[in-house]
Amino acid sequence: MGGGKSEVLQGTLDLMILKTLYALGPQHGFGIARRIEQLSQDVLQLNEGTVYTSLLRLQQQGWIASKWGQSENNRKARFYSITKSGLKQLELETENWERISGVIGRVLRLERQG
Amino acid sequence: MSMRQRLRVIVSRAWALFASRNADPEFEDELQTHLQMLTERFASQGMSAKDAASAARRQLGNTTLLQQRQREARTFLSLSNLWGDVRFGGRMLRRSPGSNAAVVVALALGIGMISAMFSFVNALLLRPPAGVDTPGTLFEIWQHNRASAGIESYFPFTYPDYRDYSNRSQAFSGLLAFDGDGAPAIWNRAGEGEVVQGQLVSGNFFSLLGVNAALGRILSDADDQQGNPQPVVVLSDSFWRHRMGADPHVVGKAMTLNGSSFRVVGVAAAGFEGLVVGNEPEFWVPLTMQEQFTRDRDRMTDRQAYWLLVVGRLRAGMHGAQARAEMHTLARQLEIEHPDSNKNIDAMVYPAALVPGPFRGYVGLFTGLLMAVFGLVLLIACTNAASLLLARATGRAREMAIRQALGAGRGRLILQLVVESLLLSSIAGAAGVALAWWETDMLLALKPASIPISLRVPLDWRVLLFTGAVSVLTGMVFGMIPALRSTRVDAAPVLKEETQTGSVRKSRLRSLLMIGEVATCTVLLAGAALCVRSLRNANSIDPGFDTHHIAVATLDPASLGYSDEKTEAFYRDLLEHVRMLPNVIAASYVDHLPLGTAREATSVRSHVGAKNPTMVDVFSVGPDYFATMGITLLRGRDFTRSELTKGPATVAIVNETLAQRMWPGRDPVGQRMAIGDQKIETEVIGVAKTGKYRTLGEEPLPVLYRGSMPPQRTLLVRSSGDARPLLDAVRREVQSVDPSMAATDLETIEQYMAFPLFPAHTIGLLLGVSGILAVVLTAIGLFGLIAYVVSQQTHEIGIRLALGARREDVLKLVLRQGLLITMIGLAIGLGAGLAATRLLAVLLYGIRPDDPVTFLGVSAGLTAVALLACYIPARRAIRIDPMSALRHE
Repeated sequence: MGGGKSEVLQGTLDLMILKTLYALGPQHGFGIARRIEQLSQDVLQLNEGTVYTSLLRLQQQGWIASKWGQSENNRKARFYSITKSGLKQLELETENWERISGVIGRVLRLERQG
Repeated sequence: MSMRQRLRVIVSRAWALFASRNADPEFEDELQTHLQMLTERFASQGMSAKDAASAARRQLGNTTLLQQRQREARTFLSLSNLWGDVRFGGRMLRRSPGSNAAVVVALALGIGMISAMFSFVNALLLRPPAGVDTPGTLFEIWQHNRASAGIESYFPFTYPDYRDYSNRSQAFSGLLAFDGDGAPAIWNRAGEGEVVQGQLVSGNFFSLLGVNAALGRILSDADDQQGNPQPVVVLSDSFWRHRMGADPHVVGKAMTLNGSSFRVVGVAAAGFEGLVVGNEPEFWVPLTMQEQFTRDRDRMTDRQAYWLLVVGRLRAGMHGAQARAEMHTLARQLEIEHPDSNKNIDAMVYPAALVPGPFRGYVGLFTGLLMAVFGLVLLIACTNAASLLLARATGRAREMAIRQALGAGRGRLILQLVVESLLLSSIAGAAGVALAWWETDMLLALKPASIPISLRVPLDWRVLLFTGAVSVLTGMVFGMIPALRSTRVDAAPVLKEETQTGSVRKSRLRSLLMIGEVATCTVLLAGAALCVRSLRNANSIDPGFDTHHIAVATLDPASLGYSDEKTEAFYRDLLEHVRMLPNVIAASYVDHLPLGTAREATSVRSHVGAKNPTMVDVFSVGPDYFATMGITLLRGRDFTRSELTKGPATVAIVNETLAQRMWPGRDPVGQRMAIGDQKIETEVIGVAKTGKYRTLGEEPLPVLYRGSMPPQRTLLVRSSGDARPLLDAVRREVQSVDPSMAATDLETIEQYMAFPLFPAHTIGLLLGVSGILAVVLTAIGLFGLIAYVVSQQTHEIGIRLALGARREDVLKLVLRQGLLITMIGLAIGLGAGLAATRLLAVLLYGIRPDDPVTFLGVSAGLTAVALLACYIPARRAIRIDPMSALRHE
């Protein structure tokens, strides 16, 4: 079963996917993986398959929807898009992330005292 | 995750169970597309085709694992996993067949008993009448007196009321009516009388029910016209088959019923057996022919003769609620039009079932109580099963630890263990269905032949569904605790073989379960013992007449249209004939027997015109009634022959209760009274001992005996020995006195008494069975627990013995654990029992719900059984050989 470490990673991946779909509109899994790769500038090493685990989870929560379509070079692909409740969730999570990362940033900036 | 989100996920997973059958191949496609795109990308960056493919695979990850994860996350469980669990569970069960068989048998007994009870509920309350078209739109209608309460406030319809409702109703496409009591008739066949059961029905009876004729035609409205009634009869399929040899040319033949000729017009389709339980007609005749059967000229116009059960067929597009509202409205209209007869009378609508609507609550309460009792038995069986599984879990701790170490999730393990339990409970459920089938037959066989009810208790889909649900619930109940407990394994120590601590915890949980079991058993035993003792109290009541040595038979010369003189002559001859039979010491007749369903009442005043009449039950008796029935005359004398045959009664015999009420402290013999609205006073010539007249449990009732006899009488023949051989002789004598006459209800008084005693006997039997089952199961549970404890402590006991402990001390040590459990369980059970039996107070007769003798007896008996159950395994403990016990491990 998942330990504490992957939990954080999972949550982060979910957030990134939501944001990607929000920014770019409907995408297939490959496109999402490319976008994350591009943005992370190779800092995050990602097994691209985990994107799909994340996509299923988001779908089950009703935050994204999917349907089959044609890719740019005429391949059958499943396209994912963000739903209304997904938008709400993205807003919530973004706020949450900024608050936490702000706290962590402040903690990490602490100087050695005494 | 919020609760709502969690729910969403559950719903979406549940949906996936049914929806996406091809989700797997779809996901595979998706991954393949992804892989191809990645490969193309790497190739476009200048990699060789081979390198690009392997880089793509590396970047995407392990697709097999991905697919597996996806499958697990998509829904609750995949069917392939479940099937694997079932097969694995089957293998585990086969490993210890003995103890599993014991569990299955115990559960099957519990499930079987509950299912049998439920099949009665189903047959009586839930199942619509058989052989009828779309029974869902059939509704019973009953009249209800708003000013009254209880079961007596519901009553059938009069003919004028039926016509009014029938003509005015819009919600029903039609209303049919039939005679609720049935119309027994004498069928004269080649000069010999035979009693057959008929039913008077409205002309639209068959057409509205959608019952067709297998032969000829059904009754029509034209047959049932007032002023022009048609003497036609439709036969039931079973009557036509069994009594007429399935004569293919029966249509058009004549049939003599009650001395009049009827023409057979048809045979009803097989499978239709009437609409009410206990009333399976052999023939149907039009309502308007009623005079031939009831000898009541005014019944079709009387607004106070309540005799018709009414059933309506809902018009298409109408709802039950609309029909209900309409019936209330019609009742109010009639209340205004006929204030004399219809004041406060409302009309109630019930879905059609075999037990009339107003009685369903009582039947439901009765069967519900029995189901609750067997539910407790099942709970005890569940506890035993849980206890056994817990013990087995100790042996499987290693298996669980290994599987967890290999990465199986706890949910996965729980699922697998629950599947094993469900497998057990399903086998038990299947066996339970078979048991239920056998039990319902057995229970039906218990019914005395004199109760004119033939009930079909089929195992239909409702019973199977119920049994299935009970089985699954049972499996969950006894499987969940062991599954939760035994998957909470800390893998490391178990794998290092430091297993003892875990098992001690488990036997503590088992002890708790056992305490619960003893407590449940105590509650059940206390309740059952109270009921059985109350029933025995009720049964040992002296009914005030001899319940042996008497043969009874009912005769009705009026159904053949005999005149009064001919009727008297018939009875006089019959009495003379039967008195000549060997072993007969007395014979008489009465208009109806006490403790039956018939009743007659009147009022008695101290003189003509006096106020404050006393209501009394009346029996019209023949000569030597008191001697024949074995009723003691306390004072005065019996009637003389001439007193009984002369016109209106001028002399009467009263019972002690009436005498005390009318003339306290005075000698009743020679006193005068006015009966009913008679203008002549009647003289009391004797006082009979008070007996039981309506029910065995009743308070003393005032009763009056007099001589004026209706034509329908019950013949009483007293024998010096067994009355059974008399039955055939009486039948022969009836035929020899008048060949066209036939006796109904020919039986011994013992058989007759089975009727008032039947409910008590059945409940007593069922409660006894449940009590025995509970005790046996509890004993088995205790035995299993102590045996287990002894086997776990072999090592410890070996050391104690080696260090010089005496065998008695070891015995005490082991027994103490069992006794402690029993005592705590008993204490809890007695507390709960005292609270629970208070609910029984209304049902108990002659015993308090907290009867100390019952509770003490139950405690003592249960303790003794528990001691025995613990002693057997404890003896094994003291036989332990210290040397071999210590060498072990």
